[in-house]
Amino acid sequence: MNYELVSGFETHVELSTKTKIFCGCTTQFGGDPNTHCCPICIGLPGTLPKLNEQVVHYAIMAGLATNCEIANVAKMDRKNYCYPDLPKAYQISQFDMPLCKNGYVELSNGRKIRILRIHIEEDAGKLIHQQGNTYIDYNRGGVPLIEIVSEPDIRTVEEAKEYVEKLQLIMRYIGVSDCKMQEGSMRCDVNISVRPKGSEELGTRTEIKNMNSITFIAKAMEYEFERQVSVVESGGKVVQETLRYDEASDTTSSMRGKEDAHDYRYFREPDLVTINVLDSLIEEIRESLPELPFVKLQRYIDELGIPETDAQLLTKYRKIAEYFEDSIKGTQNPRTAANFILGQIFKRLENESAKEEFDIKTTADQLREMILLIESGKVKMNLAKSTLEKMLDTGKAFGELVSESDMAGLSDEALIELCKQAVSENPNAVADYKAGKEKALKSILGTVMKNSRGKADANMAEAKLKELLS
Amino acid sequence: MITREDILNIALLAKLDVAEDELDNLTKEMSAVVAFADAVNEADIKTESFDNVNNLANVFRSDEVQPSLPNEEIIKNALDSDDGYFVVKKRA
Repeated sequence: MNYELVSGFETHVELSTKTKIFCGCTTQFGGDPNTHCCPICIGLPGTLPKLNEQVVHYAIMAGLATNCEIANVAKMDRKNYCYPDLPKAYQISQFDMPLCKNGYVELSNGRKIRILRIHIEEDAGKLIHQQGNTYIDYNRGGVPLIEIVSEPDIRTVEEAKEYVEKLQLIMRYIGVSDCKMQEGSMRCDVNISVRPKGSEELGTRTEIKNMNSITFIAKAMEYEFERQVSVVESGGKVVQETLRYDEASDTTSSMRGKEDAHDYRYFREPDLVTINVLDSLIEEIRESLPELPFVKLQRYIDELGIPETDAQLLTKYRKIAEYFEDSIKGTQNPRTAANFILGQIFKRLENESAKEEFDIKTTADQLREMILLIESGKVKMNLAKSTLEKMLDTGKAFGELVSESDMAGLSDEALIELCKQAVSENPNAVADYKAGKEKALKSILGTVMKNSRGKADANMAEAKLKELLS
Repeated sequence: MITREDILNIALLAKLDVAEDELDNLTKEMSAVVAFADAVNEADIKTESFDNVNNLANVFRSDEVQPSLPNEEIIKNALDSDDGYFVVKKRA
């Protein structure tokens, strides 16, 4: 029988606020243990939490960017559980009145992954287990999170990967989180069940907790899918349980015994008041949202004529998209800027985080000036390319590196003169070329370029050389 | 009606060990507490909204960093600490 994967995600995203959700302690990652703490976030008696307004705004932004309805009235609730990562023995979260609900994220295959809700809550502290003891650091305790809960709409591992990547891209674009999975600022709980293909019923699900790498999410899902199928095929029943994925062995194992049966006894947080969200605020936030990456992508393809694969790379990182848009202002062909960015500039950005940071010396204005010179015919592509390297090295403008006379390029006579000179300087290469070695022409051409100090147009020089040697 | 099983479940959730000979007494005491609180259920609330009794909403703070406490202050009341960490017995 053929089986189908059914999966839903609970995604925790740490918000990029400066301070924690209920107190003024910094949210900075790291720091010595228990140095980003105060009586509120370590839950001392008599303290009162006070909600960080930015958290509400960021959550609304996240909701709008994922097509959610924003609640006009929301409240906070206590989720009770006893574990040392929570100093108060409860987590302040949202239960039945979350800030956002009923949204979706659309995948490239056209399927919509529905979002049931997005709520705000506080993160827990970090525990280190060692020799029968648990060491607790509450620096992360109270850092604001949003939890994005999807419906079980994901059907393949590829869809799961795209869903997570898309969420990551959206949240980074709108600036509510850096979504660094390796630092734990984005983590996923993955719910998985299997059912015979064509069936509408949901099977019993298991939940793989705390995944913080897309690669491992994919591996864990593949493993868990196979495991559940083999349980069902051998006549067994999948047990509803929480699993841990072990990266080294690529297997899942049960995480909790029966003593941890869920009973969170949610009730309204009495220390915090109702959150009222006016429609005018929702509209104000909607207006302030940047153009979302997939809207941008479509626009680049349809209106700017950028090939899809290039458009994807340009829109994947917000700073690069902004740079690209600034550099094409007033130019005729956006593809010129796209090619410089995806070619010479991308070569200097070695990894994802370098692309994310996009820390390069040449400004978009400087690139645009150069493109305008190319488009007006004053500067040849060759000269532009070689000069761009120097611009990227030094941060200098095109005009500082290339004089007007350099820009003028070479007259035909001067080029022929240079070619003749190169031919006489390279007798061996000339002989090789005449004997049929096409490649030998390159070294002669190299001499022309060198002697012209980059001013010669390589294509024209090559043509002239061929003429001379024919 | 509170049963012995309820008491065992609550004890489990609160990570408390309850001895067998304490169960009957605890069940009785808890029943009395719950019965006391049941008085609330008798109030007529049809006409009142209890969603927001203090009539307060949107009490926010702005996202500005305030100094945290020094580590010595934070761990001052800890039963056990080491190198700035709170230390507790590892729980199964």
